[in-house]
Amino acid sequence: MESLSNLMDGFATVLTPMNMLWVFIGALLGTAVGVLPGLGSAMAVALLLPVTFSLDPIGAFIMFAGVLFGGLFGDSIAGILMNTPGNSTAIAGSIEGHRMAKSGRAAQALATSAIGAFIGGIIAATLVVFFAPSLAELATLFGPAEYLALAIFAFVAISAVVSDSVIRGLAALVIGLAISLVGIDGASGAARFTGGLPELFDGVDIVVITVGLLALGEVLAIAARRGTPEDTGILPSTGRLWLSRTEFRLALPAWLRGTAIGVPFGIIPVGGSEVPTFLAYGTERRLDARRRKPMFGKGAIQGVAGPEASGNATAGTAMGALLALGLPTSATAAILLAAFRQYGLQPGPLLFERASELVWALLASFFIGMVVLLILNLPFAPLWAKLLKVPRHYLYAGITVFAMLGVYATSSKILDLVLVLAIGLLGFGMRRYGIPVAPVLIAVILGPLAETEYRRAMAVSEGDPSALVSSPISITLYSVLLLTVAGLLFQRVRTRRRQKALV
Amino acid sequence: MTVTDTRPERTATADGFLRRRTGLVFPLLLLITGIALGIGTLTMEVPDNTASPGPQLFPTIIAIACVVFAVLLAVDVLRRPEPALVATPGSTTDTTPTATDTDTPTAEDSDDTPVEEPPATRPRSNYRALFGVVGTIVVFIAVLNPLGWLISGAWLFWGIARALGSRRVVFDLFLAVAISSIVQLAFSAGLGLNLPPGILAGVF
Repeated sequence: MESLSNLMDGFATVLTPMNMLWVFIGALLGTAVGVLPGLGSAMAVALLLPVTFSLDPIGAFIMFAGVLFGGLFGDSIAGILMNTPGNSTAIAGSIEGHRMAKSGRAAQALATSAIGAFIGGIIAATLVVFFAPSLAELATLFGPAEYLALAIFAFVAISAVVSDSVIRGLAALVIGLAISLVGIDGASGAARFTGGLPELFDGVDIVVITVGLLALGEVLAIAARRGTPEDTGILPSTGRLWLSRTEFRLALPAWLRGTAIGVPFGIIPVGGSEVPTFLAYGTERRLDARRRKPMFGKGAIQGVAGPEASGNATAGTAMGALLALGLPTSATAAILLAAFRQYGLQPGPLLFERASELVWALLASFFIGMVVLLILNLPFAPLWAKLLKVPRHYLYAGITVFAMLGVYATSSKILDLVLVLAIGLLGFGMRRYGIPVAPVLIAVILGPLAETEYRRAMAVSEGDPSALVSSPISITLYSVLLLTVAGLLFQRVRTRRRQKALV
Repeated sequence: MTVTDTRPERTATADGFLRRRTGLVFPLLLLITGIALGIGTLTMEVPDNTASPGPQLFPTIIAIACVVFAVLLAVDVLRRPEPALVATPGSTTDTTPTATDTDTPTAEDSDDTPVEEPPATRPRSNYRALFGVVGTIVVFIAVLNPLGWLISGAWLFWGIARALGSRRVVFDLFLAVAISSIVQLAFSAGLGLNLPPGILAGVF
């Protein structure tokens, strides 16, 4: 019950007018960014990082929490009303959601999605409150070898799972690792790949990389696609805002199933909510096919409820994994890790002791943020959709201005602006040739960690490599990784064969 | 919604071996990165009293990985070229989800407007717009310090909006100046961020 009293203290911290304002601003910004196509909460947090320099850490982090979940609430709005999901996490929920909108049930679809995101988020946050402290205790058993195993797990899992080609995923990972090498090596003090430029001694800033890959890369991709008539046919949001009892009875189990699917994925580093949302979609569809009158294809409410709940559940437990283990399991979590470091905090088991006020305030702000977001999204979803009517060229010109401002404000270095342009071009190329971006971010964040932990483990064992696989925890991690990859490859070969048989 | 002609057109060169394999730039990039890392590792100045897995081990591994994946990716690109057909302006080819799930959602559609499976096309790039954006940013970077945020920020907004297809030159100019002024006020005066004043230093 210690968690509960801590959480109450957290609520007391957050429920001040100023902190409530930060929650609200974060929720507004997050939803706005979520609604806009191609932009997600990872980029929003990266753009906000320099701006929040002057805030106290608690204010900054509860704003980030609002942004994080706001992005997930908002991304389904464009998907349902326009069939252009704001983010890859909303693709699964938009399939049936757009069909509902077409048959005049847009408002119900939006409500289902908002309530689903709320339920998934609240359940995940509750689990985090009760289990994160024990997870943190477990993490104190982790030594260098275990952390190295976790990092390798994250590398392989994200490269293999996120992209549909393992080679492309791993190539992206290698690019990220190469970028992460730049700078002074902490252990020995040797300058690596800086070309003698003192500006590069600290390495390439994570804000530069995120903003370049996610924001500028997207702007360049939009530019390259110019001339494509936009089909911005926004369907009107008609129908009842609330759900009827039958609809509610259909949606409730789907929300809960979606949450159950989403929760474990927050702890596994497979790059966020894409996989669980599609798994939830598939589950709902299979269950629906058994009914007498299958609704899938005509706008099934479960098809919206399941994926939305699972997406937010994953984001919630991912925050738990980040706080307790210091392990980012998605691009957004990776940026938040950078944010913690900016304030001189290192997420992980010690965070609960050293910055317990911040941690519990952050957890409390999840609950408050979720309520604020439900209020912002349930009745006002059609208003948010109006954002999509702002001409694209102004929208993305504004985003570029803020991207360059954010990068320059962090460091006041012109070189960073040149780097952000170069990385933006890289991000554009990756989008153009179907190479996933998420492995680059994970590699940049975890690459230095992997190297440090490896060298630490080697120093402890005096160069004996068997120390890397000597503890039960690391053995378990490596075997789970092997099993996952083997299972994944097996499944891919099987589907490929099945496709060939069909042709 | 406007129904546009989404039929793809054939490229002028019937075969276009390299045109369908422009993805080779990525293996090339990896190869160059690998070589650069290799040279950098060999010429690295390592302090004398460094513990045994020194600062050169990881760069070596990654340099080798770069070269290995350059080869693998090149083989992948060569074996699976992009479609010979180029998307006409009007067809969207970018929204296909890269879902890894085996249960692809578009398997059956009893919808009145079926999700049409457009013939595989390769994305067409609008190079003028692309160079417009890149050029605007390059100029922005060059003039930021000499001219200051107010002017260069306005240029950035105006140039990007124009490159992305805005044609209201004068209106955009006012909008751009308004936005860069708001940013200057909010972030420089309000949040205390350091923005270069440039030639307008005395005015504020």
